[in-house]
This record gives sequence, C-alpha cells and structure tokens, in this order.
Amino acid sequence: MSVYVYSITTSHHPHRLDGLDGVGSPPSELRTVRKGDLAAVVSDAPDGLRPKRRDLGAHQAVQERLMTDGAMLPLQFGLTAPDDDAVRNALAERAEEYAERLAALDGCVEYNVKAAIDQEVLLRDILARSEEARRMNKLITSGDAPPDMPMALGELIAREVESRHASLSETVISRLGARAEDSRRSDPLGEDFVNVSFLVPRKEEDHFSDAVDDLTAELGEAFDVRCRGPLPVYSFV
Amino acid sequence: MTVVPQSGGVAAAPGGSSGNLYDILELILDRGLVIDVFVRVSLVGIEILKIDARVVVPSVDTYLRFAEACNRLDLESGGKEPAKLPDLVGEVTEGGAHGKSKGALSGAVDAITDSLRGEDKEPEPAARERERPARGSSRRREE
Repeated sequence: MSVYVYSITTSHHPHRLDGLDGVGSPPSELRTVRKGDLAAVVSDAPDGLRPKRRDLGAHQAVQERLMTDGAMLPLQFGLTAPDDDAVRNALAERAEEYAERLAALDGCVEYNVKAAIDQEVLLRDILARSEEARRMNKLITSGDAPPDMPMALGELIAREVESRHASLSETVISRLGARAEDSRRSDPLGEDFVNVSFLVPRKEEDHFSDAVDDLTAELGEAFDVRCRGPLPVYSFV
Repeated sequence: MTVVPQSGGVAAAPGGSSGNLYDILELILDRGLVIDVFVRVSLVGIEILKIDARVVVPSVDTYLRFAEACNRLDLESGGKEPAKLPDLVGEVTEGGAHGKSKGALSGAVDAITDSLRGEDKEPEPAARERERPARGSSRRREE
C-alpha cells in the first residue's frame, strides 16, 4: 500500500498527533518515518483519494497541530510515496535542503490576506474622476449614444478598474509586508483584488495583526478584507 | 475584520468548522512542499484551478457588464461615499495589473467546492462562504 505524506520536520519534533486522523474513510492512522535528522508524518494512502472536504481537513489539521510544536514543512495535498523506504530515501536525498528550510522557517507562521472592494464604490470613483466616462455614461443612459459606445465605456472602465485594483493591491502588500519577513502573492480569486501570503515571525504576530486591523479600519466599509492565520507555512517551503 | 485564531481553525472540531477551509483551499492544493519523486494522486478540481487562473482575459461580456453597471448608477444620489478611496488610489501605478475578470476564477473555486460538496453529504459550511454577502469589514466578526 502506498504512503500518504503530510509534513517534514526535524527528528526531534514531538509529532504530538493524538486525537487526529489521517486522510481516507475509514480514516488512516498517522505515524512517523525517520531518517537521520529528519522525520516525516505519514499514513497509509487510501485508494482513490480525492480532494474531499474530510481529507483536506485531515491534511490541514495535521499541519496545524505540527506547527504548534516546532518548525515543519507542510506538503502539498495529495502526495504519495510507494512505501516507507521511498519516504526515507526522499528525506535522505535532500536532507541538507530540508534542514536549511526548517531552520529558516523556525518560529514563523503564514498569514493569508485577501481583499475585495465594493464594485459600486469603485465605479462611482472612476466616474467621478473621468470626464470621458461620465460623458459616455450620460449619452448611453439618455439613449443618444452610438451603438458601440457601451463597449467603449466598458473598456475604459475595465482599464480603470484594473489599474485601481493593481494600486490597491500594492498598497496592501507594501503596508503589511513592512510587518512581515517575506511575502508571496497569488492571482486574486473571484472579485478580490489581492491575494497574498505573509511570512510572520511568531514574536511579531501581534504587530502584524495590528497592522491588518489598522489597514482594514483605514480602508473602511467599502472593503472586504479577510486575513487568515496563523497558518502552516505552505507558501514559503 | 479579525484574525482568526488557530483554535478556530480546521483542526478544532473534526467535521465541524471546515467552513474555514474555503479561504485557504488554494494554499492546501497549490502551495506546500512538492517532492518530485512522490506521486500526486489524481485530484478532480486542482487542474481546473490552475487552468482557469490563466484564462482571465477581459472580454466583451466584462466590458458590457461594466457599462451596464455604470448606467445603473444613480450618480445624483451620491450613494455610498468613496471615503478613503481618493487617498489610496492616488498613487495609481500604470500597468502591472493582471487581467482579472470575475467569473472564471470564482467559477473554478466553486467547481472545487461543488466537488467537495458532492462527495460529502454532511452539511457544508463552506457554502456560506461562496455566497458573498454585502461588502463590508464586518463579516468576519461573526466567526
């Protein structure tokens, strides 16, 4: 049976996993595979594993527990090795690299920040600042516009939305980045204009949270800011 | 907005609070260490997330939707005050923006969420997250 791999830690990490289940239904049992100064948290891999909520939750729960007791490298969901020996070989093969990463990330956690802005507020702002947009909008609503004008207006608005989103994204990243050791951005999902993860030392968590609160207050009600953390350092391994 | 404490995380209650999973789904699925000698199990949904992330081109639909949204605004009423917007958008940087149309990506995450929902018959707290309520910073306080 193949082996599902959750996380890599140093060999002296306690792997306090009592009460937690592995992926699969019925849930698999969590155990440790050691090699040299490193250890991996694994379980038997269920056949036909898919990203069910239960399994994603089990994967995440293991990481969250491990991060409370020391440095760890969370694996992406869904990685399996043929057997325990293959896990040991993988640990041995890149032992130095993993040890370095573990040392670098020791005492750090991840915070993920996503934010969106109320579209109506954004559009009002754009119209207020663009005479051209106001002119086209007025013509269209009065019924006197040439047929291609809605397209032209939409294109102008889309450009402005994009540039404002970019600017807002930079604002969020630079403001919060000042309180973090590292950051990594992703494509925003849905209507969000920013999706960024920050690497925050545990001892700086309060300052980081304060910065998030300050920024949220400053942005105001038109913004939907969602900060999640502390999280396993998925984005910085 | 509040920072969700770890105790409120996914680990807190088995099968309980995984509504929290939704916002970090892409971290679990798309980040994290990859060991290349290991095999990634075939996972429905992950490919969708990656593919759709590249297909975010402003389209005719997007333009027309923006135009219609502008036409609907009652500019005389004032509506919501763009209170802080001027300061923040003052330093507008040109370019650099990713083409971003709503729809494609939220669709991808919805697809994953649907596949999650489809697999598990238990009540799905993540569903609440999908239906974005009115904007405002107060939503998180409920949690």
